[in-house]
Amino acid sequence: MHRIEVEAEVDLLAENKRLAEENRKFFRENGILAVNIMGAIGSGKTLLIEKTIERLNDLKVGAILGDVVCKADYERVSKLGIKAEAINTGKECHLDAHLVHHKIRKFEDVDILLIENVGNLICPVDFDLGEDLRVVMVSVTEGDDVVEKHPKIFTIADVVIINKLKLAEFVGANVEKMKRDVERLNSRVKLILMDLKEGIGLEEWIEYLRGEYVSRNSG
Amino acid sequence: MHEFSYAQALVENALRIAESKGAKKVNKVVVEVGSLLLINPEQLRFCYEVVTKNTILEGSELEIENTEALLVCENCGKEYRELSSMCECGGFLKVERGDEFVLKRIVMEVEDAQN
Repeated sequence: MHRIEVEAEVDLLAENKRLAEENRKFFRENGILAVNIMGAIGSGKTLLIEKTIERLNDLKVGAILGDVVCKADYERVSKLGIKAEAINTGKECHLDAHLVHHKIRKFEDVDILLIENVGNLICPVDFDLGEDLRVVMVSVTEGDDVVEKHPKIFTIADVVIINKLKLAEFVGANVEKMKRDVERLNSRVKLILMDLKEGIGLEEWIEYLRGEYVSRNSG
Repeated sequence: MHEFSYAQALVENALRIAESKGAKKVNKVVVEVGSLLLINPEQLRFCYEVVTKNTILEGSELEIENTEALLVCENCGKEYRELSSMCECGGFLKVERGDEFVLKRIVMEVEDAQN
């Protein structure tokens, strides 16, 4: 026996990047707007998906619901009569391009694909799924320091939604501070203040999404 | 557990390379981790230990080389060492360094060549 040293230089994130590019190509070729919806647990991601499906009934919307174990989100969304798929990540705390890659072929004919990531503000950051838009959803009940405590995810977002606006006064959350924190981290971001239960901000979101869909398919 | 999937990718690749070289045992694996990934080295080591159980990597040393972040303004070229999206000049920052996760080297025991 003797000892050798082998130079490896394997980029371990390259496989995810490659698959993300394949996913992106698939979305582009089929005219699909793919939206990665990330956010904390209980921030309102699934309700946002439900409301979006209801409002965009003139478009064909599909959904992939990522969860650690159960299929509760999948069951909620598939009741709306759209094409939906569940991904159970098991021990994983985020979706990756590989998990999504297995599911997207079924969505060839949709216009907009909503991908609900696992409820988490940390791990999904480093895993590009090949999406067109990255949405980060938080709510005032997570505390008004939730943005400054998780800076990275806000810097990669295209859209940030601050939900449960009406609860701010009851939990003592300073929405202005949350807004300032988002704008300081990411000046390009589309920021939407929302209260889904009250219908606040939903219109703005739907219009934005529709605009993105149209602009990507008219080029 | 963010570190678990990183450890898994690392071990899968190290194992593939070690086996292709006919290794009987792996002594050390060197990995480069960018600071922007926010990987906790202690957790990565713990996950590495778990994932390498019952493989030829079991008991091997995990050496972590840290790469500091470097962001450069696309407009004025000013450099930053911390995560942000905007330069004070109003330009956008691009990540130059600090988001890598690279399996660098593997030290292993191989059989002496048969004569």
